[in-house]
Amino acid sequence: MIYEVSVGERRLRVDIGAHGRFLVDDGVVAAETAEIVRGRQWSVRLGHDSHEVTVLTHDPLRLLIDGTEVEASALDERAAAAARGASAARGGRHELRAPMPGLLKTVHVAEGDVVERDAPIMTLEAMKMENELLAPARSRVVRLVVGPGTKVEGGAMLAVLEESQ
Amino acid sequence: MRVIRACHELGIRAVAVFSDADRDALHVRLADEAYPIGPAAPRESYLAIGRLVALARRAKCDAVHPGYGFLSENADFADAVREAGIVFVGPPADVQRRLGEKTQARRLARDAGVPVADGTLAPLRDLDTARREAKRIGYPVMLKAVAGGGGKGMRAVASAAELDAAWRLSSGEAAGAFGSAALFVEKLIAHARHVEMQILADSRGGIVWLGERDCSIQRRNQKLIEESPGPSVDAALRERLGDAALRIARAAGYVNAGTVEFLVDERGAFSFLEVNTRLQVEHPVTELVTGLDLVALQLHIAAGEPLPFAQSDVRRRGASIELRVTAEDARRGFMPATGRIALLREPAGPGVRVDSALFEGLTVTSDYDPLLMKVIAHGADRTEALARARRAVRETIVAGLPTSVAFHAHVLGEPDFVAGRYDTGYVATHWPPRAPVEVDDSAVTAAALVAVLATRGRAARRPVASPDGAWSRVGREEALR
Repeated sequence: MIYEVSVGERRLRVDIGAHGRFLVDDGVVAAETAEIVRGRQWSVRLGHDSHEVTVLTHDPLRLLIDGTEVEASALDERAAAAARGASAARGGRHELRAPMPGLLKTVHVAEGDVVERDAPIMTLEAMKMENELLAPARSRVVRLVVGPGTKVEGGAMLAVLEESQ
Repeated sequence: MRVIRACHELGIRAVAVFSDADRDALHVRLADEAYPIGPAAPRESYLAIGRLVALARRAKCDAVHPGYGFLSENADFADAVREAGIVFVGPPADVQRRLGEKTQARRLARDAGVPVADGTLAPLRDLDTARREAKRIGYPVMLKAVAGGGGKGMRAVASAAELDAAWRLSSGEAAGAFGSAALFVEKLIAHARHVEMQILADSRGGIVWLGERDCSIQRRNQKLIEESPGPSVDAALRERLGDAALRIARAAGYVNAGTVEFLVDERGAFSFLEVNTRLQVEHPVTELVTGLDLVALQLHIAAGEPLPFAQSDVRRRGASIELRVTAEDARRGFMPATGRIALLREPAGPGVRVDSALFEGLTVTSDYDPLLMKVIAHGADRTEALARARRAVRETIVAGLPTSVAFHAHVLGEPDFVAGRYDTGYVATHWPPRAPVEVDDSAVTAAALVAVLATRGRAARRPVASPDGAWSRVGREEALR
């Protein structure tokens, strides 16, 4: 299976062939990998270069490579094509999600409001700090999913915004 | 943890308390005795004075060390402990009250002849008074909690237009964190450094200063990196800060370990900020430079012993720097993060100390402060300390949730920081980095291979594998636990 991979700003095509043979951008790579901790950490030797790669978080995928943190993604070709289609269909729609679990203290807008970029939409209290969640762009508030006083999980949908000109 | 370690070195049995959320915590396992204190919510456990004191009595404790969070600066707690016939490891309650009320502390410093930033010397009555005072002082100003600390309830206000919102957020935070919504306002000093002086005082009049820590690297007015000596502090300024700290401490009748915080402007002029009447999170920086054990000294002082040395005996050797690894996503504006520690490697080796509560399998929740681990490096000079810190951060692995480690890795190699050119505005102007991190081709290839291996491995373990929304994704992850 061929994967479209991003590591930081870099884009690569990676193919894992039979017998663990790696092809990167259609060239064969002399790589030897050892899975040190299942699903979490690999030791990779490329020629004589020794690298340690750790999966810090899965979603988004963040890797620690020899002490440097990078964002990465790997999509097989079918998933990559599907993702391109989906983002086109979604247009300028933003789902405001809770970046962490906490208590929704205040809602600063009403449905139908048009807000400027960086306008506060909601205030979420987590770890005793109040965090204002801001509009990612000038947009219209399409839907408010939860109200003040609600305890929300990390990733919970809070509001739907639609970019407006 | 830190206190348990000092106790064990002195042959003292350590008694710990824990909330329901901390049953598995490391401090529970290292202590000689451990007692449940209530549910996760601090108000019903770590802040429940009555319960804590009753428990200390039942466990026949000789002394209570309040640590550096929760009730560590709470005079009512100190009173309750002493009334129960137990020694409180910290300053007397009246000293805590005098210095804990920030406007009163400002008056005390001014009367002791220490420079104080222009601002109100009494709590603000209402938003109208705040508007008037801020206008008199001139924007930008800092809005602060009278009972404040730890950056909570504190906000920079650039103009009158921002004051209403800042007032609302700050008084809300202050009420939640300290039980008092009272605020005061002071002039914001641009390009200032946050420099603090560690002091120790015994109950017989002996008092010393141990040197400064520069704590200017902050986000949301909370510290991320501290170092000593301060890059901007020369011997003359150090003497003046030490002298000012002792004048304030003497005026307050201070006993035990404390920290006097100052702002130092671009020209080296300083003004008093506040006194922290407790051990500070960043105390290891001073411990490494002076070779002293501050917690052990706190216990000796609390036992009524005199300081075992005089000011002239205090030796400072080399340089030290502390990095606070927090459960915050450095790449997303230091948003608090939660998760399970999936893989952990704490750094070690020459000149590196780690104070950590982490272990693999620990679930980090949003119940408490996001501090996970402190990495403290020491070297013969600042260059060596930074090299060791850099090396230590490179070895550090905290996997399973977003952390501040990437921030530390960046700052330790960033030219302004390396040159010691920074102030409290540093994080805002230097983070996130403008240029993407540089990784050589070989490392990029290795990372790409692992990205595929990890993604493929995860997909294979999943019952369903369609690319869809977060709701079903969360459901699946829960099913996998």
